[in-house]
Amino acid sequence: MTRPLTLRNLTAHYGATKVLDDLSLDVGAGELVTLLGASGCGKTTTLRLVAGFLQPTAGTIHLGEIDLTRLLAHKRNIGLVFQNYALFPHLTVRDNVAFGLKQRGLSGAERGRRAGEMLDRVGLSALSGRLPGALSGGQRQRVALARALVIEPALLMFDEPLSNLDAKLRVEMRVEIRELQRANRTTAIFVTHDQEEAFSISDRVAIMEAGRIRQFDRPETLYSRPANAFVARFVGFENLIHLIVTARDAGRITAEGEGGIVMTLSEDDFGPIPDRFILATRPDGLRVSHGDHGIPARLGLRTYVGRAYNYKTETPAGQLVASGPLGQPRDGGEIVRLVPEPEQCSILVHETAS
Amino acid sequence: MAAPATALVVLCLVLPVSATIAATFLAGGGPFDLYAAFLASGFRRTVLWRTLEISLITTALSLVIGFFTAYAISRTPPRWRWILIILAVFPLLTGVVVRSFAWLIILGRNGILNDFLVWIGVKGAPFTMVFTQGSVIAAMVYLFVPLMILTIVGVLENIPDDMIEAAQSLGATPAQTFRQVIFPLAVPGLIVGAVLVFTGSFNSYATPQLLGGDQQMMMGTFLYQRAMVAFDWDGATTVSAIMVAVTLAVVIGMTGIAKRLNPMTT
Amino acid sequence: MTRRLHPALIAFAILVYFFLMGPLVIVIGAALSDTGYLTFPPQGLTLHWFERIFEMSAFRRTMVTSFQVAAISTGCALLIGIPAAYALNRYRVQLPGWLSTLFVLPVLIPEIVLGFSLLRSIQVGAGLPVVSTLIVGHTLLVLPYAVRVISASLASFDFTIEEAAVSLGCPPIKTFFTIVLPNVKAGVFAAIFLAFITSINDVSVALFLTGPGISTLPIQILAHVEQFFDPVIASVSVLLMVLTVIVMAGVERTLGLTFLTK
Repeated sequence: MTRPLTLRNLTAHYGATKVLDDLSLDVGAGELVTLLGASGCGKTTTLRLVAGFLQPTAGTIHLGEIDLTRLLAHKRNIGLVFQNYALFPHLTVRDNVAFGLKQRGLSGAERGRRAGEMLDRVGLSALSGRLPGALSGGQRQRVALARALVIEPALLMFDEPLSNLDAKLRVEMRVEIRELQRANRTTAIFVTHDQEEAFSISDRVAIMEAGRIRQFDRPETLYSRPANAFVARFVGFENLIHLIVTARDAGRITAEGEGGIVMTLSEDDFGPIPDRFILATRPDGLRVSHGDHGIPARLGLRTYVGRAYNYKTETPAGQLVASGPLGQPRDGGEIVRLVPEPEQCSILVHETAS
Repeated sequence: MAAPATALVVLCLVLPVSATIAATFLAGGGPFDLYAAFLASGFRRTVLWRTLEISLITTALSLVIGFFTAYAISRTPPRWRWILIILAVFPLLTGVVVRSFAWLIILGRNGILNDFLVWIGVKGAPFTMVFTQGSVIAAMVYLFVPLMILTIVGVLENIPDDMIEAAQSLGATPAQTFRQVIFPLAVPGLIVGAVLVFTGSFNSYATPQLLGGDQQMMMGTFLYQRAMVAFDWDGATTVSAIMVAVTLAVVIGMTGIAKRLNPMTT
Repeated sequence: MTRRLHPALIAFAILVYFFLMGPLVIVIGAALSDTGYLTFPPQGLTLHWFERIFEMSAFRRTMVTSFQVAAISTGCALLIGIPAAYALNRYRVQLPGWLSTLFVLPVLIPEIVLGFSLLRSIQVGAGLPVVSTLIVGHTLLVLPYAVRVISASLASFDFTIEEAAVSLGCPPIKTFFTIVLPNVKAGVFAAIFLAFITSINDVSVALFLTGPGISTLPIQILAHVEQFFDPVIASVSVLLMVLTVIVMAGVERTLGLTFLTK
C-alpha cells in the first residue's frame, strides 16, 4: 500500500514568474520528508502541484507506478492537512471526518464506524457532534488530521499545519503527527519554515530557495555538514570565511583570505580542501585563543549563551562571532586570535552565485 | 463562470445604451446637430438647469441632515442604534412611488398641511404646494436621507474607537476631535453618499412626475414625455445621452476625488 | 462606544426620524379612513379600501404581473449572479479588472435610460414580447444586488475549504454544491429578498416596457393617482409596506440588516 513519491524536473509558473525551477525529489515509501524554506521559496507550490491544485509547466509526478501529473485533484487519494485546518464549518466533527469516506461511496454504517474509530485514535470521540466553530485550535487540528488519515491516503501532505498553535501544543502535535504517520507507514510530505520543527519530525529534509532544492539530506547531515553557503547560513553557520589556497605541503595547506588573513589547515582534520573554498562555522566552531596563529581579532560585545560566551569580533576579514569558555570571561577591546575547531567546521566549495 | 452574466450585461445593457447614445450622433445633418438643437431650445435648457438645481439642493440638504443624524446614530448605544438603523432601512426599501405618494397626501390642495393651515386660520390658505420646485425638493430629500444616513453610518462605524481615544489622550477636546479626526475621516463617505444622492435625483422619474408634473419637468419626466407622449425619439435619445454623460462624469470624477482624499487607503 | 451627545443633536435626530416616519404613518392612516378622499387623521376606521383593491381588475392583474416578473428576474439574476460572484471572488487575481466594474454598470447607468434603450433595441428593434423585455430589464436591474450581496458572503469564505473537499475526493462541481453553497446560504437568501423587493418597486425601467394590458403595480399606481385621489392607493401602499417588512425580516434573519450600512 505504501508507495514512493517521485518528482522529476518539475517547473511551474505563476503567470510569467517562474516559481519552481526544474525540481526533482525522491521520497521513499513510508518516509516523511519536509520541504523547508522561507516564504516564496516554492515549498507550498510543490505541495500544490502534488495535490493537483496547480499544473506544472514541465516535469512529472509519480506515486509508485501511478502518474499523477495530469490526474484530476479529486482522484489523487492524497490526505491534506492545511495551515488553517480548512474544516467544513457547516458539518459536525463526525461529518467532517466521514466526508472523504462518503465520496468513496461507503455505506452510512461503515462511514460511521471508521470515522468513530479515527476520532477515537485522535481522542475526540466526545466532541463528534460539535461544529468546528466550537472547537479549540488543537482540537481542530486533530479533526483535520483525522479527516486526512481516515481515507487511508497513499500520500499525506501537511502545509504548515502547526503554525497557528501555541508553542507547547505545537511540540505535542508534531509528535502525534509523527506517531500516526509511522504507525500507518504512509509516505508523507511536510511543509514548514520552522527549522526545529523540520529537523525533529523528518526522515529527510529538503532545504529550498528560489524554486530549487539546495540540499536534501538527513537532518543530522544538514545540521553538521551543510553542502553550500545558503544551507550553511540557514542552519546557523554565522561565520563564512572566503579563502584561497596559496600553498600545499603534504596535507597541510596555507590559505589567504580577505584583509590579508592567513590560515594553515590540515586536510587530516578538515577533509579534502579545494583551491577556492569557504570555511563555515557556528560561533562554537571559532575558539578565542591567546596563541600566535589563527585570525587576529578585537573582541566586541560578549553574550551568555548557556554553555559558553559568544563574542562579536572585528577581524581583517570582517565581523565574525566566536566563542570562549565560561571560566574566563573576557572584556571588549582585547586583542586575541580566533582558531577554527575542525569538528564544528564545514569546508564549502566557493560558489560564484552567493 | 462569469460568462452568462457578462453576456447579459453586454448584450442587453452595454449594446442597447450604446446604440441609444450612438443614435444621437447619427440622426440629423451633423454629428452634434441634436445637441445644438437641445441647447438652442430655451425650454430644454430650463429643464436641464432645473434638474441640476434640484439635484444639487437635494444633495446638499441630504448631506447635512444625513451626516448629523448618522453621527448621532453612531454614538448611540448598540441596542438603540440597531432600531434607528432599521427605521432608516424601512423607508429605503419602501418603493419610490409609495414614498412620493405620501407627500402628495401631505402637500396636495386638499392635503393635510393645507387642512391644518385652514384650520388654524392662516390667511390665503389653502395654498398651491404641489407642482412647485419646493414640493419636489421636499419629497426628494425625504427619498434620499435614509440612503445618506446608512452610507455615512457605515463610514463612521469604521473609524476605530482607539483612534478617537488616541486623539483625546493627546489633549483634543470633543469638538476638536470631531473637527480634526472624525469629520476628515468621514469625508470620503460623504462624497460617496453625495454621488448616490445626486445621480439618484438627477435621474429620478416618479417623484418629479407626481409632485412636479408638467410645471416642474425634470430630465427623467422630459425623457418620458419626449419618447412616449411626443414620440420624438431624436429628442429622447439626446436626453438619454446627456443623462448618461452627466451621471458617469459625476461618478467617475467624484470617486476619483474620494479615493485621493481617503487617508485610510494609504 | 457611547459618548454623551449634545442635546441639540439628539433633538435634531428625533426631528429627522419624525420626518422619516411621519409620511408613512400618514399613508397608513389615510388607508384606514372611511372617507372617499385622502385625509389624515382618519375620520372613521375601515378596511373597505383594501377590499376595493382586489375588486379592481387593473390592480389584481398588475399585482400578479409584478410578482411574476419579480420572481422570474430574481431567479435569473441568481442563476447567473451566483457563478459570477463565485468567479469574481475565487479567481480575483486571474480575472481582468473591468469585469467587476461591468457588474456595477446597471447601477451606474440611469435606470430610465436603460428602460428606454431596452424599448428601442430589444422590444421594438428585436421584437421581444413586452413581458420578456420586462424580465430582461429587471434581471439587469437586480443583478448587481445579487452579485454584491453574494460576494459579501464569499469574501469571508475560505477557499482552502474547497481544496480540502477536492483532496478528499469530491469532484469540483459537487464541491460547489455541497461545500460552497451551504456556507454562503445567508448571502443567497438575502440576495433573493433584496432582488425581489427591488424588482417590485421599480418604476423607471418598467415605465417604457409596459404595453397595452400589461403593466406593473407601481406603473398602475402612477396611472391611478393621475386620475383619482382616493384611499385605494394608500391601501396599496400599505400592502407594499407589509412586503417591505417581510423583506426586512428576511434580510435580518440571514445577513443581518446592518449589512446594508457596509
